[in-house]
Amino acid sequence: MNNAQMEILILAILTSLTCTLCGTFLVLRKMAMMSDAISHSILAGIAVAYLYTKNIHSPLLIIGATITGLLTVALVEVLKNTNLVSEDSAIGLIFTALFSIGIIIISKYAHNVHLDTDAVLLGEIAFAPFRRLNIGNIDFGPKAFYIIGSILILNILFISLFYKELKISTFDPALAFALGITPGIVHYGLMGVVSITAIGAFDTVGSILVVALMTVPPLTAYLLTNKLKHMILVSGILGILTGVIGYHVASLLDVSISGSMASVAGLIFAIAFIVKVIGVKPLNF
Amino acid sequence: MKYKVLSLVIVLVILSASYALYLYTSNITNNASLPSNNKLQVVTTTTMITDLLKVLGEDAIDVHGLMGPGIDPHSFQATEGDVIKLSNADIIFYNGLHLEGKMADLFEEMSKRNIPTYAVTDAIDKSKLLAGEDNYEGSYDPHIWLDVMLWKDVVVFVTDILVELDSSNAYVYSKNANNYIEELKILHEYVNTVALKVPEEHRVLITAHDAFQYFGIAYGFKVLGLQGLSTETQAGIADVRNLADFICQHKIPAIFIETSVQTRHIEALKEAVQSRNFNVEIGGELFSDSMGDLHEPEGTYIGMVKHNIDTITKALNP
Repeated sequence: MNNAQMEILILAILTSLTCTLCGTFLVLRKMAMMSDAISHSILAGIAVAYLYTKNIHSPLLIIGATITGLLTVALVEVLKNTNLVSEDSAIGLIFTALFSIGIIIISKYAHNVHLDTDAVLLGEIAFAPFRRLNIGNIDFGPKAFYIIGSILILNILFISLFYKELKISTFDPALAFALGITPGIVHYGLMGVVSITAIGAFDTVGSILVVALMTVPPLTAYLLTNKLKHMILVSGILGILTGVIGYHVASLLDVSISGSMASVAGLIFAIAFIVKVIGVKPLNF
Repeated sequence: MKYKVLSLVIVLVILSASYALYLYTSNITNNASLPSNNKLQVVTTTTMITDLLKVLGEDAIDVHGLMGPGIDPHSFQATEGDVIKLSNADIIFYNGLHLEGKMADLFEEMSKRNIPTYAVTDAIDKSKLLAGEDNYEGSYDPHIWLDVMLWKDVVVFVTDILVELDSSNAYVYSKNANNYIEELKILHEYVNTVALKVPEEHRVLITAHDAFQYFGIAYGFKVLGLQGLSTETQAGIADVRNLADFICQHKIPAIFIETSVQTRHIEALKEAVQSRNFNVEIGGELFSDSMGDLHEPEGTYIGMVKHNIDTITKALNP
């Protein structure tokens, strides 16, 4: 195993931990598809930023993407709070609307430019070891380590600081309200973290992997445990397993790394599902 | 809570310390790795560039192409094997002008770290490049290989780089380049003569995406693409309607599909033409962004260009 391969493996482990942390709360709040929604809706932000800068390489495009990610989250909240549509429908409504705005802008004003989310944002984990942070002549390793690392720290900080609030408002919003926790604020905070995590991770490892890691390991853990702390722990472990096994499968078959990891995540879920159906009691540590 | 924070900090310190050690050792080995006596490891992107390097380098270099036949360079998915190819690369050749999407950024970044990476389109003088329709800065049509004379400039450019980088094999590269340039000149003549056999009013090339602009200018075809330069943009209803009207008006006998682009848009266009009581044939498959299978004649650049012009003239001749 050479350096590049080892770095991909480390990156996969960091990404797994990051995505499963906020993914756990998404799954519990029935918003598992939020990351997928963000991966589409950001096209609108990218398109608008491109019209403004006329330059595919401008960092403004990524800022535009982040703003649209937060906007998606906020709009879904507003729509859901009317109680006229459910959360999943709100997600479906908002992201298709933003995505289609992005497509219309591109087909109207940037028809002949290679402009799409791929061109601006979607990273590829296979290339991550080759984008390095160099200061002077010293090589500080892949940039992705620093991006994912800081997002991981953000996630750990947010979840450990607001653990109680998150837990209560996830399972019993009414109680949370009675206790003086504003579920809305906690929710916006969480969604903000999700949005930043999603976009940062899209840029470094690609969207398929992020969506898979945010949803599948937490869902698998949800089958196996029934305590929040255990669920976070189990989904983290499953995320790491997904990354390590997925990488070796990709190496064995010479296929796309993120595709292979996402498939392994699905496979692990299938195994857990069968175990559950056959009837094994949930794990209690 | 105190213990938790403490253990977290300890874990963090251990992790960063081992990472620092790893960086330290890899920095040392990086500086020590001088060019070895082994063959030059060349990594290429599109099948056209891979073919060129194989012709020029023969046995003197190992060529590792990232993209296989039939792959749309814009939506290329890297595999695990590509990681190994890239990490062992001594030199990288790619097309540039946004053909490879975001991968080009990667190569530009690598070149800043003194890994020799070259966009072969840098060989072409900017004045010869066609702009993308939007005329935004830096947006040029990347499909230069479809004009054989432009590709000849690329051959010269790539040869110069190889000669400079690996002077011990300079003789091999120059000899192969000279022979190949002669072959390309003959090819260019061939395409010109065959193209002239098509009656002038039929010299219209309609394909799935706008890849053939350089070809059109070099060999006197009017070129109309259903989609824009990017293979990812969708053809609008108006695009299909306008093209269908154009085909009926000018009685164009055939339209073409491309091996690396989906066929459904061209089929929709054919149906739109039929609904206007005119019949347009699908003239066959053209190789635009990718060459044919390695074992077939179309698996080389010369074979691909011949296949394209033969298919076009056969379908457009009445």
